[in-house]
Amino acid sequence: MTAPILELAAVSKIFGTGADAVRAAQSISFAVNKGECLAIVGESGSGKSTVANMILGIYPPSGGEIRLNGTTLPASRKLEHRRAIQLVQQNPLSSLNPRRSIGASLRLALDVHGIGARKERADLVGGLLEEVGLPADFARRSPAALSGGQCQRVAIARALACQSEIVVLDEPTSALDVLVQARVLKLLNQLRETRNLTFVFITHDLSVVRNIASRIAVFEKGRMVELGQTEDLFANPAHSYTRRLISAVPVVTREEDALRSSLAAGLEETTK
Amino acid sequence: MKRTLAILLANPLSLLGVVLVSLVVLSALFADFIAPFPEHRGAVVDFVNFNKAPEWPYIFGTDLVGRDMFSRILYAYRISLILGVVVLAIAVPIGVTIGLVAGYLGGRWEYALMRLTDVFLSVPPLVLAMSIMGVLQPTLANGMLAVTAMWWPWYTRLVYNITRGEKEEGYVLAAEVIGASRAHIIFREILPNCVPAIITKMTLDMGFVILIASSLSFLGLGVQPPTPDLGSMVADGAKYLPDSWWLTIFPGLAILVAVFGFNLIGDALRDILGAEQ
Amino acid sequence: MSAPTLDIENLKLGFKGYTGYTEVLHGISLSVNPGERVALVGESGSGKSVTARIVLGLLQELRAARIEGRVRFEGQDLDSLNRRERHALRGKAMSMIFQDPTSSLNPVFRIGDQFHDVLRRADPRITRDAALGRAASILAEVSVRDAVRVLNAFPFQLSGGLNQRVMIAMALANEPALLIADEPGTALDVTVQAQTLHLMRKLVEDHHTAVLFISHNLGVVREFADQIYVIYKGRIVEQGPTEAVFDGPRHPYTRALMAAVPRLTGGGIPDIDENSPDFGAPLETHEREGRQ
Repeated sequence: MTAPILELAAVSKIFGTGADAVRAAQSISFAVNKGECLAIVGESGSGKSTVANMILGIYPPSGGEIRLNGTTLPASRKLEHRRAIQLVQQNPLSSLNPRRSIGASLRLALDVHGIGARKERADLVGGLLEEVGLPADFARRSPAALSGGQCQRVAIARALACQSEIVVLDEPTSALDVLVQARVLKLLNQLRETRNLTFVFITHDLSVVRNIASRIAVFEKGRMVELGQTEDLFANPAHSYTRRLISAVPVVTREEDALRSSLAAGLEETTK
Repeated sequence: MKRTLAILLANPLSLLGVVLVSLVVLSALFADFIAPFPEHRGAVVDFVNFNKAPEWPYIFGTDLVGRDMFSRILYAYRISLILGVVVLAIAVPIGVTIGLVAGYLGGRWEYALMRLTDVFLSVPPLVLAMSIMGVLQPTLANGMLAVTAMWWPWYTRLVYNITRGEKEEGYVLAAEVIGASRAHIIFREILPNCVPAIITKMTLDMGFVILIASSLSFLGLGVQPPTPDLGSMVADGAKYLPDSWWLTIFPGLAILVAVFGFNLIGDALRDILGAEQ
Repeated sequence: MSAPTLDIENLKLGFKGYTGYTEVLHGISLSVNPGERVALVGESGSGKSVTARIVLGLLQELRAARIEGRVRFEGQDLDSLNRRERHALRGKAMSMIFQDPTSSLNPVFRIGDQFHDVLRRADPRITRDAALGRAASILAEVSVRDAVRVLNAFPFQLSGGLNQRVMIAMALANEPALLIADEPGTALDVTVQAQTLHLMRKLVEDHHTAVLFISHNLGVVREFADQIYVIYKGRIVEQGPTEAVFDGPRHPYTRALMAAVPRLTGGGIPDIDENSPDFGAPLETHEREGRQ
């Protein structure tokens, strides 16, 4: 058995002090295996974003540790740690600087991490754009000239630019239209295979997660209430909150209705 | 850039602004060729033609020592514009850098820098300039120093507020996650997003700097004679109103044209560049 | 049969800009009968939100906008009304719920005072006490139990879900004939959203209010609406009773849209094109039951 690529051991985060202290994440432990897509699902205030931010090193945990390939990550990340863990954000338009070209935004990652010789970098940028299904000459455009879906592809290319191993996807498709969402999810799946990437997929959307994640961690109010294989979790959710969450999802087919009502029935039993 | 220019020229008010400002800038640049009496910018005395009402070849009349008002106004524009450019060239980089640093770094830096800015902002500009000029010699260089000292905090305020907003944008987070340096994030990522607001304010301020420099000279604290200056010309002439009206009306109008022109362009830029974001 | 509450006929909308004239609605027709819940579903840029704005009379005052076609509210042509009359319709006979409840409520006034203002639009002489009493009874209908606390609170002191319920109650306070709901609950968590939709549905059923429901979320629409219109690039491409459209979508665009929604029952991410020439196919209509 290979060691997990990313490991959280009793990680917690407290914002503020004294009576105002908010326990945003409480003793969270899980491991992510290389090449898998682990989804973290929860509603606002569940702590899913706090955990994502700690994995990314935006702020350090208040307690516990985060390990990358077996080594504990320091509170202030070194460049090599930054390189390994990258991010795709929810809002594609805001995540690209409106005053810089697409090419400049992509090149930043190459420059910071010294990837490729200086002269090659323009070609590398073109290659990255093609890898996410965009023409190489988009490098000269400004983000305003791109659609939301195209911007999101650029953001994905940027996350790949520094040859990252782990990509934290923070609601990567929830700002996109359904048709665009399907294409972007397809692309992500494909990139995970070709680049052997590991995904931590943060979302509130269980329908998306059902079709892309290998395992799911359900968060509620700063705690992880359930972690399981996707199939198992949908077939037989152990926690009543998971059942509630699944049965609240608006759906479009009769089969889904059936799944929802069977889970909702289970919910009534457990509350009795 | 091209689009901005096209819109500027399409709107009648901003077109007027462009015309007025071009007039001022061209007069200042080519004063040597336009002015009928270039030597009148200095200490020339011509008691034959002193205090004359407008008549050819003195289209704006002559002053009390017989110098051509029109020539002197052209050269005064040159001084005013140099003053405006130099003041902004010093005040803007200082103010902008402080605003960026305070806004992005936050914490103690923000506290220290913004309180310093507040101190400068709490003193009325003219009073501050007058006290600086009072302590130092009332020369052109000190005039610039005084005006600069009271100008940068406005840019700090402006840029600080924009930076606070931009800091929350996803592209800043993305650069941080990539591991870009603070200097890169501040100057390469955030600063370009402040540029439209800075340019707009600079255009408006060109007018205000000219105005405040004229006010200082009016009080006898700015440019010293015999160098021509619009403010001191108005001040000198004011004693002879209403008989020798040309001594005040023309320099006064000259100030008005410059300030009005820059303001028209500035207002238009604010609309255009603001809408672009 | 009585006149439809809202009847839109061949509505076109274009904007004049620096780059010339762009048409965003190419002639759409839809109708909402009394007490009926009608959804207008489309992706961003499809024209669904501007349609709502025209019905509310908010775009007519824009100089750059050119509107053609007919919008009738309870048989009355909106074009025949002047600005003041249109303003009088809003908030009284017609009301609206927005996407983000917390920012739609005025942050500097207490909920109770905002209710008072709303109720005064229908009855200018209503007293504050009477307004608060009426507000409390509507709030009870959307399952707000401690109405006194809520009415005394400022919007930021309440949760997003509670604010959304307050918005719904406020929108229905004057018993409007038509409620326009633009992406209600999109900013809320799923569990809260489900509950909010349920309450809203119950309330409009009880009050027999007609609803024009604007949304991009097919699942939400399926749960809420009786009739749906699918809009794509300024044209209605498919219309009919909700069940019929979901059980047997006919238009290529509707089919693609439905297929693209990830299923809770699994099956992977479908392989669907973002764009296809087929999406320009003509309108598909499912007949309404009990009509014609």
